[in-house]
Order: sequence, then structure tokens, then C-alpha cells
Amino acid sequence: MKMLLLALRSLRREWRLPELRTLAASLVLAVVALGVVATLTARMEHGVLASAAELIGGDLGVSAPQNIPDTFASAGRERGLAITRTASFPSVAFAQQQSQLLDVLATDTAYPLRGTLLVGDGRGHQVVGHGPEAGTVLLDHRALVALHKAVGDTVQLGGRDLRIAGELLQEPDGGELVAMAPRALMSLSDAEQAGLLGVGSRARHSLLLAGEPAAVQRWRLWAQSMALPQGGELITPEQTQERMRNAFDRAGSFLRLTALLSALLSGVAIALASQRYARRKTNEVSLLRALGTSRGRVLTLLLGTLGGLALPSALIGVLLALALAQGAWMFASQMFAGVPTDLPILPSLAAACMGIAVLVGFALPPLVRLADIPPVAVFRASLARRIRRFDVLYLIPVAVALALIWRLSGSAQLAGILAASLLGVAAVSALLAALLLWVARRIAPGGHPALRLGMAALARRRGLSIVQATALSMGLTALLLLAVVAPSLLDGWRQELPSDTPNWFVLNLQDDQRADFSQALSRIGGNQLNMMPLAVGKLTTINGQPVDRMNLKDDRAKDSADRQLRLSWSNDLPPSNTVIAGQWFTPNPAQAEVSADTMWRDMYHLKIGDTMRFEVGEGQLDARVTSFRHVDWSSFRVNFFLLLDPTHANALPHTWLASFYLPRGNTEALAALSRTYPNLSLVDVDALLDRVREIVQRVTGAVRWVLGFSLLAGALVLSAALATSGQERRHEAALLRTLGARRGLLRVAAACEFAMLGLIAGVTAALGAMVGGWWLGRSVFHIKDFMPHPIPLAIAALAAAVVVMLLGLAGTRKVTHTPPMRLLRAE
Amino acid sequence: MSDGSRPVLEVRDVSKSVNGPEGRLDILSNVAMQVNTGESFAIVGASGSGKTTLLGLLAGLDTPTSGSIQLDGHALEQLDEEARADIRRRLVGFVFQSFHLLPALTAEQNVMLPLELEGNPAARERAREALEAVELSGRRKHYPAQLSGGEQQRVAIARAFVHSPRVLFADEPTGNLDRRTGRHVCDLMFALNRDHGTTLVLVTHDLQLAERCMRSVELQEGRLEPLA
Repeated sequence: MKMLLLALRSLRREWRLPELRTLAASLVLAVVALGVVATLTARMEHGVLASAAELIGGDLGVSAPQNIPDTFASAGRERGLAITRTASFPSVAFAQQQSQLLDVLATDTAYPLRGTLLVGDGRGHQVVGHGPEAGTVLLDHRALVALHKAVGDTVQLGGRDLRIAGELLQEPDGGELVAMAPRALMSLSDAEQAGLLGVGSRARHSLLLAGEPAAVQRWRLWAQSMALPQGGELITPEQTQERMRNAFDRAGSFLRLTALLSALLSGVAIALASQRYARRKTNEVSLLRALGTSRGRVLTLLLGTLGGLALPSALIGVLLALALAQGAWMFASQMFAGVPTDLPILPSLAAACMGIAVLVGFALPPLVRLADIPPVAVFRASLARRIRRFDVLYLIPVAVALALIWRLSGSAQLAGILAASLLGVAAVSALLAALLLWVARRIAPGGHPALRLGMAALARRRGLSIVQATALSMGLTALLLLAVVAPSLLDGWRQELPSDTPNWFVLNLQDDQRADFSQALSRIGGNQLNMMPLAVGKLTTINGQPVDRMNLKDDRAKDSADRQLRLSWSNDLPPSNTVIAGQWFTPNPAQAEVSADTMWRDMYHLKIGDTMRFEVGEGQLDARVTSFRHVDWSSFRVNFFLLLDPTHANALPHTWLASFYLPRGNTEALAALSRTYPNLSLVDVDALLDRVREIVQRVTGAVRWVLGFSLLAGALVLSAALATSGQERRHEAALLRTLGARRGLLRVAAACEFAMLGLIAGVTAALGAMVGGWWLGRSVFHIKDFMPHPIPLAIAALAAAVVVMLLGLAGTRKVTHTPPMRLLRAE
Repeated sequence: MSDGSRPVLEVRDVSKSVNGPEGRLDILSNVAMQVNTGESFAIVGASGSGKTTLLGLLAGLDTPTSGSIQLDGHALEQLDEEARADIRRRLVGFVFQSFHLLPALTAEQNVMLPLELEGNPAARERAREALEAVELSGRRKHYPAQLSGGEQQRVAIARAFVHSPRVLFADEPTGNLDRRTGRHVCDLMFALNRDHGTTLVLVTHDLQLAERCMRSVELQEGRLEPLA
């Protein structure tokens, strides 16, 4: 207890020391970064999960790619449940020159059974509404703006003219969690009559029920005992929650990784600052030891000081994290409309624990070694030097870092990959920084004395310079990748596509419509028409083993096994497909053959010669796997995971799926065409690309400021390094001042030093972002020869040089004022 | 005992006081002295006598509370720190007890430092000559950590003489060296002093070293006395 009081007294004396302030600031930053991200993701998750019933629009339901049999509705009615039917699908709405891809929900008038549908009447009034009447449609604000229409006007949807009865203000499901596409609500009967829900359409039908919990439970038990329609599933709040959770896991991992980077960089700053603190305390501790204080008591004193610093810092971190999370939540509330939640506290407290773990893990080794100083070190300073050496205790921060990575990534395997990747990136950054430092040192001798002095200062603390440059460059690389490379990657992706790349897809084309549709399309200027047959079926067995009983580890495989598959066939290998194993179909094979793409091969561990059984309509087809294909999914052509041989597949019930190119400006003619063929679903690929771009913009907008934490952590490493080298810098400044250096020269030398450090970090980050962008372009977006534009990256590198220079000058301002007499006094 | 040439350093009634926790503390009181060009001058005194403070004032590293110090005709007390830095760069060389070489610079780069601060384009050649004069040509590329204490002090001496200063201030130059090495380093320093015609002002508590100077004074409790 006495030692703890002594520790607090010592902290009160020492808290102004730059290294202790760096320790505190690093802990605050780690807690804030981890806390904000954890609070935001938890809040979104809690909010959405809590309103799962509202999201469904009913208490329970069943959904399928085709109409739900009446038995399900009748069983509900018998149990006194309210019932509504819906169908959702994408479709293009036309209004004179304008066209817009919409997420359409077709409902009956009973919709919604749970939650609230808010409709604006165009005159500023809001009413609680229900599913639209036949002949009318409800559009959200974005759809109205895109189509240049107002409430009361008419739009064409599914080949029918519909009156806009109101503006859709709020849907029970919030219009998807993150509303990306404009939404429309139309009448189910209109959609049925327009043929939008026919065989082969992309519509998802739902039957929703609501009522007394006991009755709902009875219906649920009944439905579970029934065979669901093909590809159908029960919609339960739990299952919706699970899907939402998966979506959050993916979205949250990027944020968590950013927070992780900030926390680990804070750890580096903590390690540097605690080394410096240990060095400063060496004499005091060796004296304490000489005066008879035991090692244990010294350690208690040091850890007590650390604890006295950690607790208030962690508390500040928690408060800041909560405040920032609340601010961000209010800022982003438009994106997450209709998801009211309380501010969760626990994630920030967990972040505080993780932050303290980082502090203890990274600060412990030098402090333990400090307590190990033998009493005789008071006479022989060399004995105290062992605290500077690397030893086995430094495995503690490594273990803490690994534990943190494991905690935030959620799986040991992913943690391993992440740890190796982070280490790899850090090692490459460090090597590059060392190389650039070497180059700078070689070119400096011909330069101005200030430049020479600046470079000499960098070289003097080579290890520290590399740590600083690496930390700064890692934060900067992440920011550049997201802010500079990602947008240009999307532009590049779009520009890479030939100008006549198909920009429309058409679904649900019937056999007897093919010839007329082709002619009509070429009359309005459409070309590059490519049609593929489309059958909808289900994979039931592989080599005789039922798929639903297979022990599938891949989530995608489990998902595909439950869902309906789209199957197609072709005599020739489609463009943008390459056979990488086996043989393409032989003409008229005796047994049905199937060619799978590589993703399916990996999901189900398929081998050439395996037999897959598909159920299509009433019949079934056994097909032997004869080839595997690599498919370029970014080509915007019609592509399929599974292709069957035409000889056997032609007999399957099917519709046609087509892609074509239509010059912009011909959309009015296309609107007329869609009136002639109301059963067709048209998908505007340009609009899809715009959606992708919008998603990326929103996501980058949302996370850019979180990335600011990693930059801030990089700056903290810089500041910790400045604190570490402060004494040495003051000594050098005193010597140079004694030799007659003017203050201005020292300032310019410091400016050169930090500008070069920033430039090295900036160039490393720019190169990292270029390589990262090149890799993403090549491997993910399949853009040949994509190279991020170097000019914005070069500007970013220069900006980094300027910012680091200013930070460095601010941090060393006092150093240039060191009185030269200090040198004589230090004798 | 001067050789009759004009004084390069004139100290008149210099006092230095500082405010300590227990009030005002007088470190130097009414110090007066004169050092002529080419002379070697020793200031001897016990620890705490004010030697280092006086050296700092003479070299323009600090300013007196009262009194006047003329260094080569410049009244140091009237100049600001930047102007005094200019004087130091042009006129003064230093040798310290702890050598004070920059650890990341080679011996040659350390010696080049005063010339580089002047912007002298022939810094490298001059530094090589200076290292040759202290018999360290073979150690040009060595870093301070790779040199012995005696060698480090010889590099420091080369650095002190390389820009031909008017006055060389040496603060306990042999304090960190063994007797034999110390003697060798001093021989070198006095030889260079003689060859360059530099004025040498030496602060030491080593009476044997002081005896090698043309004149010596003793500082006792802040006052200058002739050496007994």
C-alpha cells in the first residue's frame, strides 16, 4: 500500500514528462479507436437485430423464388393469423427520357402486418399507409428525383403506367439496411398482370403472417413439418438476425482492422515511450535498490505509476469513444434510418480493457528489466544498460498483439493470416524506408549544410527513423488505398470495359419471344445481343450423397445448397470463360455433362468425373463433371457457375436470359419495347455500376475518419520517438550552437530531417498504395495493366512530408532553444 | 608576461549571479583579466569555484550579470545570442573534457562540422589536413565509438583547429584520459597552438597542465587570484 501511495506521488511529480504523456495519449488513442468502432458496430447490430420482426414486416413468414402455395396461407387463416403476400425484384422504371433501376416490392394492401409504412402526400403531410392499390405506386425520394417526377405524376413500371400515389418515407424494413437503390412499392396484382413474377423472373415471393404468439408458434410448428416449396425457406426473426449478423461481420471487419492497426501502432508508441521512461528512471531505481528496496517493491512502484496513469487515461478514452460514436451515429443516421437504439457502453469498456492490455504488454518489458537492476549498478552504470537490450520479455508485446488480432478477427486462422500480413507489410515498409534513408544519406553530402545536418540526424537514429517511417507509412497506406486508389480503381474498371460492353440485362424472355425481341431490339439500336437459356433447379446430390447431409464447411456452399440454382447450357465455351481442367463438352455425349467454375469446384471439393444430380421442375438430371472453368465475372457478360451440355439440357423447362448494348439516349425506345413485352425484367448495368460506386463512396466516407486514427497513431509514434531522442537532440543542438550554428540553421536542419522522414513515409505509402491498387486491379477487378494514377499519390507523399515536417518542428521547437552552456554543464 | 601583442580577450569587472531556491547566488565577483594574442592562459580552480561559468562567459556561451568582455574587439555582453553564435563560429574553437563528437558522424565529418557551418566549400580537404596534423589520417572513416578516448580527443582537437580560430577554449581536455594519453594530447594541443598562433585559454584543476601555459590564474570562490 505504501508503495502504491509512493507510486501516485511519483506520478504526480512526473506526469509532465513527455514519455508519460505519450503513454497516456497512446492509451487514449487505442481505447478510442477500438471503442468507437466496437460501439458503432455493436449499435448497428443491436438496433437491427432488435427490430428483426419489423424488418420482416410480420412475425413469421415463408419465402421462395416462386409463388407460395395456398396451403401455407390457409393454414395461417385457420389459426387466426393475419396474412400478406409480397414479392421483391429489381426493375427499371421509365419516365420520358429518364430511366431508373429500382428495388421493387410488390405487396397486397394488407402489407405491412408489423412495423410502419409512412407515406408523404406530396404536400408535406405524412400518413401511415399500407400496400398500394392497383394502378398506383409509391416511390421514395431518390426515385422521384431520378425520374424527375412528383406525387400525382405517372411512371411506367413493368410495362404499365402507374400513378405515383405518394412518397415512400419509411418502410418497416427501412428499405434495406443501408438503402442503396431507390425503392418502389407497387401492387402485387399489377406485378402479376404485367408478368413480372413469371417463371424465371428474379422475384422473391414471401408470405408473411402475424398474430397471437401462440398461434404464430403453432403455424411455425406446422410449417416446419411441411415440405417447403423448392428453394423456399421459413423467414424467422432468428434467421433474419443471423443474416444481418453476417452482413455486419463483413462490414465490421474492415473497421475492426483499422482500429487494430491504430491500437498496434499505439503499442509501438507505448514501447518507445516506456523505454525512454525506463532509461530516465535508471539512476533513481539503482539508488532505491542500493538503499535496500527489494525488486518486488520497485516493480510495484513502477506498475503502480503505470496503473495510476492507465486508469484515468482509459476512462478518458471510453468517454471520448462514446462521444465520437454518438456523433458519428447522429451523422450517419440517414443511412441507418429507422434503427433506434441506446448507446451501448460495454464495447467501449471492453476496448478500455484491450487498451490497458496493450499498455501493459508493450510497457512491461523495459519496466521489468528496470526493476531487475542490481544495487551495485549505482557504482557501475554499465550494469544498468541491460534494460536497453532485446530479450525474451519482448515476446509479451508480440503475444498481446497476437491476442488482439485474434480477438478482433474472431478466428485463429484469420488471425494468423492477418498477423503474417501485417508483419510482412511492416517488414517491407521498414526495408523500403531503410533503402530510402540510405539513398537520402548518399545524396545529402553535396547539399546545403542544413540538409546535411538533417540527414545526419536521421542517420544517427537510424533504427528510430525506420520505426517512425514505418508506422507513419502503414497508417498512410491504408488511407491512400481507400481515399485515392479505390475511386480510381472503380473508374478504371468502368473505363476498361469496351464501349459496346452490354449495359442491359433482360430476364424472363420466353422461347416464342426470342426472334421478335431480337428484331425489335436491333430496330431501336440495340446490339451485341447474347442469349443464354436459363433453367432454375436445385443441386440434390454429389456422387449420390445428398448435399444437405454433407458436412460443408464453406458458408457459401451451405447457402447454395439451400437455394435455387440458375443453370444454363451452350455448345461453345462462352467468351470470358477459360477451361482450366478437363475437356469442354464433346458433341452429343451419352451421359449429361456439366462444367463448373472454380468457385464451385472449391466450395464442394469437386473433381473431374464426379456426378451431380439436379432437380429441375418435375424432372432430374445426373451430370458428370467434365471440366472446370475460370470465369471473368467483371466482363458484364451473362455467365453461369454451372453450364450443362446442350444435348441433355435442352429438354429442361427454361426461359432465356439476354444481355445487350443499347446506346445511352435510347431509353425511351426501350420503354416502349418493355410495354410490348411486359413480362420481361430489364436490368440497367450502368445503374448497377453506379450503385457499386455509391456503396464505395458511402463506405469510404464512413470509414475515412476511422482511418484517421491510424494516422494519428503514426503521429504518436513520431512524438514518442521525439520524446525518446529528446535528450540526445538537445545535446546535439547545444554542441552545434557552441560551434556557432545559428538557431535558423538548426531549424532548417530539423525541417529537412522531418520533411525527409515524412517524404520517406509518404513515398513508402504511395508505393504501397500503388502496389496494393495494382494487385486489387489485377486480382479482384481483372483490369489489365491497371496502375493507380501516380500524381495524387505523389501529392499525398509531398503532403505527408509537409505535415510530418510541421509536426517535427513543433516537437523540436524547444530543442533549437537549448542554451549552449548546457554542453559545459553536462561535463 | 605577454609578448607585447594586443589583447584578444579583455575582461573587466565581470560578475555573474543566479537566482537559486535560497535567493541570489554570486558565482563570479568582479573578475578582471586580459589574454594576449598567441598566449596560453590557464584558469585553475577547485570544483564549484566558477571555472566553467567563467569559460562560458569568455567564449560567449553566456552573458555576465555585470561587467564587460571583449573578444577580439567585440563586446560580448552587448550582443544577442545569434550574434555571439556568429562570433563563436568565426573566432572560437573548443576542446571539451567529454570530447562531444557526434556519434553518427565519422571522424572526418565531425572535423568538417565547423567549416560546414561556415559554408566553406573546401571543408573536406581542410578536415583531412587537420586529421593529418593530429596523426589520424588512417582513422578518417571511423566513427567515434570505434576510436579510443585519446583518439577521440585528437579528433576533437582537429575539429577545434580546423577553421583556424583566434582563440581556443579547452575545458579539462585531459580529464577523461589516462596520464600518458593526456600528456600526448596536450603536446599536440600546445604544438598546434604554437604553429597556428592561436590563443589558448585552458580551464583545469591539473596544476601540471597549468604550468605548461605562459600564464596561470586561480579562481577561488568566484574571485581571480594569481596562482600561488
